[in-house]
Amino acid sequence: MPGLRTIAREKSGRSALRMLVGGLVVAAFAAMAPAQAQDKQVLVLGVDISDARNFDPARMADYSSPITNGAVYDSLVTQKPGAYEDVVPSLATGWERLDDGQRIRFTLRDDVKFWDGSPLTAEDVKFSLDRLLNVKDQPAVYAQNLEKTEVVDEHTVDLYIKNPAEPIMINLAAPAFAIYSRAMTEAQGGVSTPGAEQEDKATQWLNQNSAGTGPYHMVQWERNAQIMLQKNPHYWGGEVPFERVVIRHIGDSAAQLLALENGDIDAAFNLTTEQLATLEDSADIDIARGLSLDYVYMTLTSSPELNEALGKTENRLAVAHAIDYDGIIEHLMGGNAVRPVNFLPIGVGGSTEELLERIGYREDLDKSRELLAAAGNPDGFSFQLSYANAAIVGTSYQLLAQKIQSDLARVGITVELNPMDQVQLRTQYTGGETQSVITFWNPPSPEPQLWASASIERVAKRVRWEVPQEVKDVVAAAGAEPEPAKRAELYTEYTEMLQAQGNYILLFQPIYRIATSQAIEDFNLTAAGWQVQMGDIKPSQ
Amino acid sequence: MVVMIVLATLVVFLISHLVPADPILAQLGDMQAANPAMVAAYRARWGLDLPVWQQYLIFLEGLVHGNFGVSISTQRPVLDDILQYAPATIELSTIAFLLSVIVGVPLGVIAAVRRDSWIDHVARLLSLIGVSAPTFWLAFVVLALFYGGLQIAPGPGRLDVVHLPPPFVTGLYLVDSALAGQWDVFRNAAAHLILPSTVLAATTLGLITRTTRAAMLEALGQDYVRVGRAKGLKERTIIIRHALPNALIPVVTLGGLAYAVLLSGTVLTETIFSWPGLGRYTFRSAVSLDFPAIMGITFLVAVVYLVINLIVDLSYALLDPRVVRQ
Repeated sequence: MPGLRTIAREKSGRSALRMLVGGLVVAAFAAMAPAQAQDKQVLVLGVDISDARNFDPARMADYSSPITNGAVYDSLVTQKPGAYEDVVPSLATGWERLDDGQRIRFTLRDDVKFWDGSPLTAEDVKFSLDRLLNVKDQPAVYAQNLEKTEVVDEHTVDLYIKNPAEPIMINLAAPAFAIYSRAMTEAQGGVSTPGAEQEDKATQWLNQNSAGTGPYHMVQWERNAQIMLQKNPHYWGGEVPFERVVIRHIGDSAAQLLALENGDIDAAFNLTTEQLATLEDSADIDIARGLSLDYVYMTLTSSPELNEALGKTENRLAVAHAIDYDGIIEHLMGGNAVRPVNFLPIGVGGSTEELLERIGYREDLDKSRELLAAAGNPDGFSFQLSYANAAIVGTSYQLLAQKIQSDLARVGITVELNPMDQVQLRTQYTGGETQSVITFWNPPSPEPQLWASASIERVAKRVRWEVPQEVKDVVAAAGAEPEPAKRAELYTEYTEMLQAQGNYILLFQPIYRIATSQAIEDFNLTAAGWQVQMGDIKPSQ
Repeated sequence: MVVMIVLATLVVFLISHLVPADPILAQLGDMQAANPAMVAAYRARWGLDLPVWQQYLIFLEGLVHGNFGVSISTQRPVLDDILQYAPATIELSTIAFLLSVIVGVPLGVIAAVRRDSWIDHVARLLSLIGVSAPTFWLAFVVLALFYGGLQIAPGPGRLDVVHLPPPFVTGLYLVDSALAGQWDVFRNAAAHLILPSTVLAATTLGLITRTTRAAMLEALGQDYVRVGRAKGLKERTIIIRHALPNALIPVVTLGGLAYAVLLSGTVLTETIFSWPGLGRYTFRSAVSLDFPAIMGITFLVAVVYLVINLIVDLSYALLDPRVVRQ
């Protein structure tokens, strides 16, 4: 008899399986009560944290990680939401420039404790900044102008600057310049002296814990699942509103929306434009808004070898005058975006909407046709537009490219769409091999010089623009100018030069929107680098 | 078997190095990528400055020593990453596999025995839906219905926020929580498994039902079934003892492959249910050209397929003694 044994085995196997499935079903029904985000000791944020690689301040280079680091660390100075032209005191109460600006002396608060109760001293500041310089990972690039640090006394520290003409104060507010405990970090193998590149072993610990002075401290990071923060009992800024903060990974935006509606999370960070539109009139959900300093822009090459027509300035300007900018903001972004004139986003370096009115490109098809005729291409020309197969702030590059294609067709310019993989796009773009791209800019810190120098150095190479000395001089003068009004004037002069050149076309600067439940309040967004002022959020009264 | 694995890794290695993109650019920020010292340091750290053949030899050498190298994007050993993400995927796909076998095989048998009855039509319809419905659509529909609308199922993730993961033993939450006696965590983990495993099971369930039905129909048409009936055997005996074992051979083949597909093809389900598993990790490694991670996963998947095929071959012997005699 074939298979008798098998059948017997299969039978017993099957009943065991049946019991298991039965158990699962029973268990499911028993666990039906949804999670309690309503227990207002705990703040739960729904965020896509799949990009997170590091929480070590000396190594962090991701988009979502600063949300956590902004809540667990403080820097010497900070920035208030919306005021990105200047810094305000944080761990330092004041600072003065000595030796013609080559040295900046910081006076520290004397009432600050780390979350473990130990006091903050100048030694911790020196350790943190030295470690940033010597670990030499990605954030060290922002500290290129910092030469060394020196402890003066327990609450005074000097920073030596290489080039006083280059700005540094706004960079110091960035998450990379977080101050952490020397004792805690050294106990985990942290090294701040030269050679730290090889010898430092603290990253693993700093990815699971934190050693800072912020309102919360990190107690766990489960990759692609969640980050858990605990209240800092010694916080120098006063009583901390929540016992715990859970940053929950929810990668899919539709699932985030469901979780918010079910009360499982208090805030949904990654909703699409359409999803947010359905929430506009909701009585149970608020939408926090904040103008970002990120933007989406389009480049046009100057190189006649890559595209003969684009090599002529008039043709590039013809493209710039044939785009329906208002249509992009109104229809693709649901009106939740603004447009800067050129490489400086609105909010820094004197870039404003008023300036856009004055010197920005505007949709003007007649002017576009005149420019084409002047360039000797009255019937238009064609070029290849490259972009990533990806989405950005709830809309896709594909949609944006199609919109530009149809806009430019009105004046006879033919756009060949060239979608590709993100890394491939970056390889071609940074190699200066693209005729035109649409891509995204996300600043590490709101220092205007970072944008300005990029636009005349590395980005200029990508569009093959030979930058004239006078443009370089204006940018350098703006960087060295301490007086905000004069600085804005110089940056405006620089912006006009970029406008005449026509290599960069700014499409939009999104207003970030985060949907929040009514169980919480004071959800203040910031564009300074850490997305939200975590310490401000409170349970609703 | 070793040859197969080396061939599989070689093919993937060559393909991923043929992509005209620079993996370092997936890792470095804009300013950093323009800094030659930093780019050089990153390249040297992952041996990307070496010729491709040398990189492959280094990979093979590491593999022999059980070392998969360090992932470029997570900056920790690939083996650690795999060990962290694999249990979530194994747990999910095993439950999904059991679901599809436990439901699929009986459903296929009944559909074949009661051919053209209402139950046959229902089974065929269900399997058609299972095979043809896109996973991402089905995943979202069940999530919106049972979590969003009816609110009888928990949301994305492996556990609710209020629960901490059980102490690590196997990484399978059901097993670990049972070992630790944390029954509330066990219940919660089980509840979180229901929707994603059902969605994941849908495709394989459909395939298994259809294959079982077809194989049973063929078996029921054979002479030995007619002989059995003529001998006056009970219909039940004929179906379970005579027809089913013969029908199971193609089902076992398919089942083995289905399990391998479940283990390696969970990316969409994992994305929608925010499941911290290998599918998501594989996807991110591929788009960021994280060579060490891609190679580690390739090796793992190759081993999974080979082992499952081996098990399938061995199980033929149990089902059909003629295989052994040959």
